[in-house]
Amino acid sequence: MMHTDDLIARAREGDHHAQGRLMQIWYKRIYNFSYRFFYDHDQAMEVAQKTFIAMHRNISLLQEITRFRSWLYTIAVNCCREELRRRKSSRAVSLHEFRPGEGEESYRWEASADRSQDPERKFRQGELADLLQSCLMELSDEQREVLIMKEYEGLKFREIAEALSLSENTVKSRMYYGLEAMKRIMESRKITKETIGYE
Amino acid sequence: MNNHMKPDEAMLIAYCYGEIDDADRSMVEAYLAAHPEEMRRLESWGFVRKAMSRIEDEEVIAPPIIVGQVDKPIWKERYFRMTAGIAAAFLLVMIAARLMGLGVGYSSGELRIGFQLREKPMEENRLTEQQVDQMIKNSLAANNEELQSSWSKERMVLERSVKQNMNQSSEKMDRLLKTASLANDEEVKKFVGQMQRENMKLMKDYLQLSSAGQKQYIEGLLVDFSKYLQEQRKQDLELLQTRMASMEQNTDQIKQETEQILTSLISSNGTSNQLKKSN
Repeated sequence: MMHTDDLIARAREGDHHAQGRLMQIWYKRIYNFSYRFFYDHDQAMEVAQKTFIAMHRNISLLQEITRFRSWLYTIAVNCCREELRRRKSSRAVSLHEFRPGEGEESYRWEASADRSQDPERKFRQGELADLLQSCLMELSDEQREVLIMKEYEGLKFREIAEALSLSENTVKSRMYYGLEAMKRIMESRKITKETIGYE
Repeated sequence: MNNHMKPDEAMLIAYCYGEIDDADRSMVEAYLAAHPEEMRRLESWGFVRKAMSRIEDEEVIAPPIIVGQVDKPIWKERYFRMTAGIAAAFLLVMIAARLMGLGVGYSSGELRIGFQLREKPMEENRLTEQQVDQMIKNSLAANNEELQSSWSKERMVLERSVKQNMNQSSEKMDRLLKTASLANDEEVKKFVGQMQRENMKLMKDYLQLSSAGQKQYIEGLLVDFSKYLQEQRKQDLELLQTRMASMEQNTDQIKQETEQILTSLISSNGTSNQLKKSN
C-alpha cells in the first residue's frame, strides 16, 4: 500500500506535513492518470495540481479513510472533465500536440528518466508507447477513463464505480466494450504480437 | 454444449481480472470450455492488455504546491458575505418601503400591509361631510323631539289652567247671576263689561308670558347648537393643521434622502470615470 491510514488521518485533521507527504506519494499516479487521459503534459500537470489543491481543501470532509484512493480519483476525474470542457470551449492547442519536439526541445526534460538505459531500446519503446497512446486516445472519454483506472492505476471495479459514481456492472460493461474497441483500433493500426514482442 | 448458462459481459470481465467469486468462476470456466470462440476473445483481451502495459509511467517530480492555510480577511469569509448580503437586501427593502410609503398596521384584529397605511387611521378619525350632516340632522331631530314634548307639556298645563279658570269663571258667573238677578240691568251691564276687560287682560298677559318663554328657550337652544358646531369646526381645523405639518415634515425628509442618494451616485460615477480616464 502506498499510503498509511495514519498519514491520511493526520492529513484529515489538518496536518500540513501529512498533506504534503500524501501529495508526494500520489502525485506521480495522478499525473500519469491524467497524462494518459489527455496525452498532454501541460494538461496533466494542470489536472494534478488542481487535484491536490482540492484534496487539501476537502480532505477534512473525507468520511472513511479506507476510501481515500477512490475519493482522490473522483477529484482527479472531475478535474479531467473540467479540463476537457475548458479545452473544448477554448479550442486551445498544446505546443506538445503541435510539435512534440525531441531531446532538449521536448517537455520530457522535466521528467527524471533513467538515462542509463539503452538509447535504441528506449527509442523503440518510446515510439511504441506513442503509438499505443494514440490508440487509447481514440476511445471514448468514458471508456478511456475506466481502462486507465483499471489497467494502469490498478483500481478494483468497486473503487472505479465509487470514483465515477456508477454501478459496478456499468463499469464492467464499459471495460468490456473499451477492450473490444481497443482491440479493433490496434488491428486497424496493424499492431500485432510481433510489433510488441508478445510471447 | 449450449446447456451452459452464458455469462454476461460484466461476469466475463470480472473473470478476466480475477474479481469473481468461486461459483461464478466455475460457471464461466465451464462456459469457456464449451465455447472456444469466447476463450479466444478473452485471449485477445490478454494481448490488448499486454500491449497497453508497454506504455510505461512518465517520471515526474511533484512541484512545490503551497497549500498552507491562508488567513482570509473577515470580509472575504463566506458567512460574513452572506450576512452582509442579507443585511444590505433588508436595508434596500426598508428604503424602498420608506420611499413608497409602504406600511404595516394592526388594528381591530386586522393586519394591514400596503402603501400609505399611515394615513389610514387619520382618515378614520376625520369626520366626513355626510357624518356632519347626519350629526346635525340627529341633533335637530332631538331638538324637535324636545320641543314637541315641552310644547305638549305646556299645552297640557295651559289646558288645565284654562279649564280651571273656566270652572272658576263659571262659578263666579253663577254667583254673579244670582246677584244679578237681584240687581238692575245697568249694574249687570257694568259688571259684565268689567269682567270682560279683566278676562281680556288676563288672557293677553298669559299669552305674552308664554310666547316670551318659548322664544327664550329656542334662542338658548340655537346658541348652544352653534357653539357646538364652532367647537367641532375648530377641532377639525386643528387636526388638519397637524396632518399638514406632518406631511410637510415627511416630504422634507424624503427630499433630503433623495439628494443624499443622488450625490453619492454622482460622486461614485465621477470617481469611476476619473479612474477610467487615468487608466
